[in-house]
Amino acid sequence: MPHKCTKCGREFRDGTTDILKGCPSCGGKKFLYIKPEELHRDILDEKNIEDIIEEKKDSLLEVSNIRNDEPIEIYDRIESIRVLSPGSYELNLEKLSKSDEMVMQMGKDDKYIVDLISMGKVDKSKKKKKKKK
Amino acid sequence: MSFLVRTKQKFSRLFKGLFKKKQMRIGIYGPPNAGKTTLSNRIVRDWTGDAVGPVSEIPHETRRARRKEGVTISDEGGNSVTIDIVDTPGVTTKIDYKEFLEYGIDSDEAVVRAREATEGVAEAMHWLREDIDGVIYMLDSTQDPFVQVNIMLIGIIESRELPVIIVANKTDLPDASPSRIKSAFPQHPVISISGLEGTNVEELYEKMIEYFG
Repeated sequence: MPHKCTKCGREFRDGTTDILKGCPSCGGKKFLYIKPEELHRDILDEKNIEDIIEEKKDSLLEVSNIRNDEPIEIYDRIESIRVLSPGSYELNLEKLSKSDEMVMQMGKDDKYIVDLISMGKVDKSKKKKKKKK
Repeated sequence: MSFLVRTKQKFSRLFKGLFKKKQMRIGIYGPPNAGKTTLSNRIVRDWTGDAVGPVSEIPHETRRARRKEGVTISDEGGNSVTIDIVDTPGVTTKIDYKEFLEYGIDSDEAVVRAREATEGVAEAMHWLREDIDGVIYMLDSTQDPFVQVNIMLIGIIESRELPVIIVANKTDLPDASPSRIKSAFPQHPVISISGLEGTNVEELYEKMIEYFG
């Protein structure tokens, strides 16, 4: 017989080893057996949004779908070149057009390489050292 | 004595400055594969008989800025301008070696090409900052001009107050739409040409004399 997590309601097929270390979704340790015909019943007789609002006496909240995916955040970035992987680069033209100072970001995490020589050449007062990990 | 020597040096520098007029250095900028090298080859060949560099359909063929000095362009009215032509690598914000693989380049070579192209863009931006007095901005008129890199780079050029001529290239192709480029950049003169076939380059030369002379 299939199992169901008592905490979050996730259902598992009969005899699965997934639940041996607890429910992979919520970590719950208690499961109950359910009849095979009851499997997925809560999804099958799914309520529509209006019913849920009525039941919970909640107001309807619209989740807007407008994503703010502006790639122009490039302007605020500190690095001149981002090395995503060998042979894949992202260039910050704004930064490159301003000075020869080279700051490189390696990979997608905040790991930077700062070329101090390039900074010394332009203006010694601007010399900074930043290394984040 | 040292006073005399110094005065003499000062004068000779002044005279040099007066008589040796600095040539305008014109950079040909634009996204990869817009036809920058094709145009600079044409300009240089038309006026000096030389060539600047090899051309290919694979993006980032030009990975070092190449310069040809003392190119004199003249029109029928006797007006002329002597300029240095700088052919620059295509400027872009993303370079990925994987895009070269489609052109049959093996992966090691593609990685090297990507690295050189990245250096090339940095070099092109370096030139723009220090050594360029005017810009010819090349666009492929079969492509959408409203992409981030064009808007950004034209903005950078404008902020340096450099004179810009925009060239809508590849008018020989059937889906070319130079009018789209004209409406995208109304603040600058737009000349539509075919760098490959040489159509309408005379108009560009006239504009260059007017603008960079």
